[in-house]
Amino acid sequence: MVTIARRDGAGLLIAANAIGGTLVYYAPVALLLLVWELAARAGWLSAELLPSPEATYAALRDVLASGELAQQAYVSLMRELSGLVSSVIAGAIIGIAMARIEWARLLLRPVITFLYPMPKSALIPILLLWFGLGDMSKIAAVFLGCLLPVVISSYNGARGVDPLLVWSARSLGASKLGVLWKIVLPAALPDILSGIRMALALSWLLLVSAELLLAEKGLGYMIGYYGDTGDYATMFAAIITVILIGAFSDRLFLHLMAWSLRWRTLSS
Amino acid sequence: MSKILFSGVRKEFPGHGAAPVVALDGIDLAIERDEFVAVVGPSGCGKSTLLYLLGGFLELSGGQILVDGKRVTEPSPERGIVFQHFALFPWKTVLGNVEFGLAERGVGKDERLAIAKRYIDMVKLTGFEETFPNRLSGGMQQRVALARMLACNPDVLLMDEPFGALDAQTRYILQQELLEIWRQQKKTVMFITHDVREAVILAERVVVMTARPGRIKAVLNTKLTADDPRTKIDDLSEEIWSLLREEMALAS
Amino acid sequence: MADSVVITAPPPSRTASLVKSSARFALGGFLIVIWQITVQAGWIDPYLLPAPSAIALRTAQQLVSGSIVSDTLLTLYRAFSGFLLAAVIGISIGTLAARYKLAHWFFDPLVSIGFPAPKIAFMPLFVLWFGLGDQAKIAMVVLSCIFPIISATYLGTASIDRYLIWSARNLGLSQRRIVWKVVVPAALPQILSGLQIAFPLSLIVTVVTEMITAGGGLGGYMIMSAREALSEQVFVGIFVIATVGYVLLAGFDRLRRHLLRWHTETLSGL
Repeated sequence: MVTIARRDGAGLLIAANAIGGTLVYYAPVALLLLVWELAARAGWLSAELLPSPEATYAALRDVLASGELAQQAYVSLMRELSGLVSSVIAGAIIGIAMARIEWARLLLRPVITFLYPMPKSALIPILLLWFGLGDMSKIAAVFLGCLLPVVISSYNGARGVDPLLVWSARSLGASKLGVLWKIVLPAALPDILSGIRMALALSWLLLVSAELLLAEKGLGYMIGYYGDTGDYATMFAAIITVILIGAFSDRLFLHLMAWSLRWRTLSS
Repeated sequence: MSKILFSGVRKEFPGHGAAPVVALDGIDLAIERDEFVAVVGPSGCGKSTLLYLLGGFLELSGGQILVDGKRVTEPSPERGIVFQHFALFPWKTVLGNVEFGLAERGVGKDERLAIAKRYIDMVKLTGFEETFPNRLSGGMQQRVALARMLACNPDVLLMDEPFGALDAQTRYILQQELLEIWRQQKKTVMFITHDVREAVILAERVVVMTARPGRIKAVLNTKLTADDPRTKIDDLSEEIWSLLREEMALAS
Repeated sequence: MADSVVITAPPPSRTASLVKSSARFALGGFLIVIWQITVQAGWIDPYLLPAPSAIALRTAQQLVSGSIVSDTLLTLYRAFSGFLLAAVIGISIGTLAARYKLAHWFFDPLVSIGFPAPKIAFMPLFVLWFGLGDQAKIAMVVLSCIFPIISATYLGTASIDRYLIWSARNLGLSQRRIVWKVVVPAALPQILSGLQIAFPLSLIVTVVTEMITAGGGLGGYMIMSAREALSEQVFVGIFVIATVGYVLLAGFDRLRRHLLRWHTETLSGL
């Protein structure tokens, strides 16, 4: 919690408090790490089942130093971004179009209702057939997986726009397209961003799955490879990297959300 | 012996800094049996807090509250309460809500049904027994809340700005119906509101509170009879308003 | 009476509703027809995209003589087991965290890290621990589904209107009975929202785990078909799982609507 700033050393106090707050917050994680370390030391964990923290850390250092981790991470991140960005743009356009144009809604809605329940992971084998082992199959997996959640949340957001806002804009001379861009999109933004956040989590699931199954590069591939070759410490290091990237990207996105929605009053 | 007695009632809440927030600072008030008392005051003056203390939902920081000579320590159906936003159990029908307290007491099914129906009729909601609250208007929901409270046959009615969330017309109708019920059933009522006129019309006495920390600023007799001139309501309201204006000027 | 009940709009005319309901299938039907024509005409390689007729035939054949029925049941068994286990554990943790500050302090950071993280990354580790059987898959489903359930349960139980609790106490309810008679029903909408996210997730994850371990079920069926270049069978798998998913989710939605028929209608997605 933030304390009231005092004139003397105020900045230091606030910073110390903030850091203290974060430390307390993540203390349970530190606790678990401690338990892990103790269990490894006590010999309860065979190196096969769960590598010790030291081994994992050593493996992590090695794989960072050799640049391999950075390389694989880069590949995965590029795939992730391409898939995500394209699905967000496509999804938002489709969703908003459906909300504002009656015939688009009539035509597309039943198709989406039918496609939505299908587990997107089921598409991975097809993508293998179509695109083989390259980047495209992963990007397509991410794209297809994220498309519908973004469409649906954009649709909901655009539907919920107060018609009075639209009428005000029209009476001030905005064109139909202008209204879409300047009024509907910002008003629907909270819902769209929530949908993207959900899609983000799903996209990591699909990317890692696709990379575990059909890839020669990337973090998912790395996990599978080191698992197969019995180097469990490096495998675990890769797993942890993936988990942290997933969690961190969500955190980052939350900040982005808060920043882009800073104009929202408490009532909205 | 007074029905309800507040002696030196104090209530503090933990504040953001070092000092606690004093909501109520020494309230002394006696409410007689079957009396209808209203409490008005500027926002944040603690009038609702006073009600919640009497209801037993919050703990006193100082002083005591006696009902029939016994200290209040926890909620009880004998001091029934109605809230501004109805607080109906949305997953239960009207009937389910009204017979809730009876079921808790272990009243048998048929008897429960009969009693509940009687009160549903009393609040003029006959026919809506199987309806869920989400299909009812605000005024109807508040009637259900009233019936639910009355079904337990409390001696004391606690009302926390009960008509504040309703439109003016519904408010007027329910005020009249509340008076009806009070006259017929003979209950002691403590009624919180920020609507001065409502307080004058409904209550026999109006307690005016100061801004925070809340104390009693004045108590006015607002008993109305058929002989009173039509302007009496306006005069009383104006008198209370000027008292409130003083307090609001202090608060800002 | 000045009060009025919420009024619903009058039903549309017969012809209008007939047109509207057949329009549902317009785009879908149209696309299927185009699909059939383009493949038959040879414009699209039937290996990459088999004709709907071929898929239909293959589906019929597989249903009769193939393993697809037992595979589907296996997948459903794994998904349901994982989902139910996740529901029980998740709801327990969520209510615990809402009730006890210590529990909340402990689980909060774990959930906030775990929720968005791709738990599937642990699959090779789970295989190491549990082998290639059902356990590893069900465990992964539990791990994946538990976070939205914990989160939703916590939100639902922690944010209950205090006036509801006070009304219940005012009407004579003891503290213990309040949990079952008030807290759980009041939190039900939120809890069901969490379950509604977890439910399709359980299917997705089950299928993925089956693919990764080539361990039977619909996922195993599809990945093996893909590896053996039997593209028609892959599509059969997709069709079956899409249908199963659709039916299950529709069923879940109905159940949810029934359980929440008292709830104020919220703006829902398609």
